[in-house]
Amino acid sequence: MQLSHVDPAIIGVWRWHGALTALVFTVLATVFGLTVSALWPFPPILAAIAGIAFVWLWPPLAYRHLRFGVDETGIAIESGVLWRSRIALPRMRIQHTDVSQGPLERRYGIGTLKLYTAGSRHVKIELQGLNHDEALALRDALLAEGGGSGV
Amino acid sequence: MSWLFGLTVAIKQMVLPLIALVFFGTRDNDAGPFGPFLIPIILVALLTRALWQQWTYRYGFGPHGLVIREGLIFRNVRQIEYARIENIDTERDVLHRLLGVAAVRVQTSTGGKPEALISVLDLDAVQEMRAKVFAEGKPGEPVATIAPETTLLHLPTSELIRYGLIDNRGMIVVAAGVGVLHEFGLLSFSRAWFESFLQSSSAAGLVALGLMMQIALGVVAVVSAIVAVRILSIVLALVTLHDFRLTRQNGDLRARYGLFTRIALTLRTRRIQAVHQTESLIHRWFNRVTLNVDLAGDSGGGGDQPDANKSRARWLAPVCSASAAAALIAAALPSIDLNDEPDWQPLAPRARGRIFRRSAVLAILILTGPAIWYLHAGAIVVVLACIPLAWMHAHLYTKHTRWALARDAVMFRSGWLNRRLTIVPRDRVQALSVNASPFDRRSQMANIYVDTAGGGAMRAGIRIRYLAADVAERLATALYRTAGV
Repeated sequence: MQLSHVDPAIIGVWRWHGALTALVFTVLATVFGLTVSALWPFPPILAAIAGIAFVWLWPPLAYRHLRFGVDETGIAIESGVLWRSRIALPRMRIQHTDVSQGPLERRYGIGTLKLYTAGSRHVKIELQGLNHDEALALRDALLAEGGGSGV
Repeated sequence: MSWLFGLTVAIKQMVLPLIALVFFGTRDNDAGPFGPFLIPIILVALLTRALWQQWTYRYGFGPHGLVIREGLIFRNVRQIEYARIENIDTERDVLHRLLGVAAVRVQTSTGGKPEALISVLDLDAVQEMRAKVFAEGKPGEPVATIAPETTLLHLPTSELIRYGLIDNRGMIVVAAGVGVLHEFGLLSFSRAWFESFLQSSSAAGLVALGLMMQIALGVVAVVSAIVAVRILSIVLALVTLHDFRLTRQNGDLRARYGLFTRIALTLRTRRIQAVHQTESLIHRWFNRVTLNVDLAGDSGGGGDQPDANKSRARWLAPVCSASAAAALIAAALPSIDLNDEPDWQPLAPRARGRIFRRSAVLAILILTGPAIWYLHAGAIVVVLACIPLAWMHAHLYTKHTRWALARDAVMFRSGWLNRRLTIVPRDRVQALSVNASPFDRRSQMANIYVDTAGGGAMRAGIRIRYLAADVAERLATALYRTAGV
């Protein structure tokens, strides 16, 4: 199966998410640093540096390891930088699908495809970072030949 | 008649608060203006609610599905397509049996709560419903052909006694009992209580017996406690699984059991997703195994729903001889050819070393602190003992863990103390994932998870750890090709 990368715009979305999270941690570190005055000003500085490094380095790595492929049987999704996983889902087993968009994703024109199965643990399988139109097309392609009860 | 059962259920739910009310009401001198009338008012309210539910709950057979109407002010009409109905289970407690009716549970593959819960239905109506629903599900077969039932397994009293000994459910009851007693403050061993015991004549007599007799008495006490718990387990097994009977009719299996509350479960063979065979150490002493099946429609319940405890374990056999197990598995999975011995494959060659390192490190990390705390210098013995034990575990685990890919099923055998065998038909596989942690990648290994429907969160599907990465990849590809067929 030919695997391909998702829309690189997802890196921007992840950077924004990461930046917001890093900001929260920096604020917490500032509060902590102010209460423990012996450590001032190291906690907020360290938190900010770690946050910037994470926001800069991690999204491209995650992007490089996020790949997906579709064939006549179904869809396969590869993800994870350290803990890698590859999920293969036959299209017969898809119960229903969602394509969702958060505010940031809308800004970058991408969407998340969610595939639901009748399984026990892989009940919801997500594929982030698809171009929104591509996500809709993929959803329709996966559902087109579906049918049967799926269990 | 349903109001009667609605009322008993409501009273069962209310019984603890009511007792508390009576209990505290009598102690409280100033009970308020409603004091003496409170309980009758609650009872009347419950009765009204039960009657109301009976008057507003209606079911019928539509052209395509079961139709259930409930409510009068907030109306709800539910259509359940016949083809989607997975299970129709009945449960009859003593009251139901006296009146010749049953509580019926209709489930689809949505999982969790039953789609319809009819608390009282005439037995003939249940039979009619079952025939109608299952005939509609399989178009082309007339309703009238009801094949004779063949009994596949019947558990006599001797087997139930064995099951009680193996299962040890009495322990859970004892633990729950201790918990309840503790809640009510009956188990508060206060200092004064101990002192009065130590000064009593019986304690003096105990001291006079000498050390050997004291040890002997202690041993006798422990042994008799174990025996008592086992006897309780046997009694529980005899009551709950009395007259367990697994039958086959029109290709579907049914299990019936219970002394006071009779339960009838449907196991439709085309809905069986996986078969699990478990075998603990005590199972092996008696040469017995336990067989369960996962059914589509049982999954995703979540433990917090009030009805979750009602979704029964789908026994194929609570206990059966190891030789009879193969025939029962074949009956549950008729589409699978189990005659040939599968081609069992071992784990990756380096799996034993990894399991050894992992369990040794874990055991040492967990035990070192407490061992030093309690034993001081003696801790070294405990910590060193972990190493040969971890080696034994790794050796036995890799020796007994095997997987096999047959033409129409994937099988996994694991564990050495508690042994499990899981069989998943290849056309029941829902999704596959191949996962590799950093440790896995260092030794070119991966684990594969084969997801199926109907399992609980704890024991769903098959997860095979410590496979060689390329083997896992090939297995996943092979299963993926056939999963959607």
